[in-house]
Amino acid sequence: MNLEELEKQVTLLEDVHEIENLQKLYGYYFDYTMYTEVIDLFSENTDSVEVSGHGVFRGKKGAKRMYNAMLGRKHPGLTFFEIMQSQGVVEVAPDGKTATGRWYTPSFESRPVGGTQRQTWQFGVYDNEYIKENGKWYFKKLHWNLTFWPSFESGFVKVPRLSDDISFLSADAPATAYHPYPSGYHVPYPFKHPVTGE
Amino acid sequence: MNLEELERQVQLQEDIQEIEHLQRTYGYYFDNNMWPEIIDLFSDNAESVEIVDHGVFYGKKGVRRIYWDMFGGGGGPRHYPNWMQFIVMQIGGVVNVSPDGKTALGRWQTWLMESMPFGAYNRQEWRHGYYENKYVKEDGKWKFSLLHWNNTFCTPFEVGWLKYPQMGWMPLPDADLPPTAFHPYPSGYHVPYHYKHPIASE
Repeated sequence: MNLEELEKQVTLLEDVHEIENLQKLYGYYFDYTMYTEVIDLFSENTDSVEVSGHGVFRGKKGAKRMYNAMLGRKHPGLTFFEIMQSQGVVEVAPDGKTATGRWYTPSFESRPVGGTQRQTWQFGVYDNEYIKENGKWYFKKLHWNLTFWPSFESGFVKVPRLSDDISFLSADAPATAYHPYPSGYHVPYPFKHPVTGE
Repeated sequence: MNLEELERQVQLQEDIQEIEHLQRTYGYYFDNNMWPEIIDLFSDNAESVEIVDHGVFYGKKGVRRIYWDMFGGGGGPRHYPNWMQFIVMQIGGVVNVSPDGKTALGRWQTWLMESMPFGAYNRQEWRHGYYENKYVKEDGKWKFSLLHWNNTFCTPFEVGWLKYPQMGWMPLPDADLPPTAFHPYPSGYHVPYHYKHPIASE
């Protein structure tokens, strides 16, 4: 292997690592509702943000509207999230400029639902895209798919979700894929099978 | 890029991976109460260990005091019955190595399933927390130099964090100092980040 090839391989490892950190930092900021810091993780050329059933928000402007809507949703009383960014599979495109990532998110929550303070489990799947600009990785597209959102006491079989996530008024388009448990929906894989290539 | 620069970049990637493994290995040992193995993961020049509300333990001596004397009951036969269990999942590590490659900082999340006695009762609990740890490279190996585990909640399996965020309080009598930061849910406490924002650089 010559120096140039080696350099390319090292850059790929660095890229994967940086993207993994980006995703985890997103989680650590999101948990503390630090939405300004979250928005700063998005590229100026952001494609879209789509979270659960809240609808599609296009562009960096859309990302701002989306997270501001979340802030606006903050009710008086206790809101608490611990969302664990788990099991990332990150693939960088051959040109090293974009990447995809699939992640699981088990989480603990408590927040008011219908006037009552509730504690809930939540689980979901990210299907995200990243872009490298000026040597740094940013979110290009974020799509979080809700799997279940039951009360702590009932569990996902008995109460798959406490309520349906409705579209935010400020969304550009309705959700493209909101199919929580028990729909049997498979969130599409961004990657090909590593062995068969299919 | 010349060979020397490339070597430095590869070294950094190796360092991060070794530190990630160190942290996960700690978890795998902790789950099985393997205290001597845990103590050996710490530098002889370790700064301190602080675990939830147990207080601060200084130096490698403090490391031995908390893991061996307190958790391990001072040795002898394993004093935990088999039904007692800790499963501490080490999740979401963000590790940053200092420019000189000799020290590093790491933030992690932990999700626990445990069963242990509380008062007169044998209980099963959910627990969550954050690490903000320091690592040091000595003789080519990464070790813990400071470990600080912050507890978010510790709740009975049956009840949940909203209704019962924290089961019991357990300051250890042998600690050098009381806990410096024990603010479980619902305090709203933010465990400080060791890193700057990667884009905004704040």
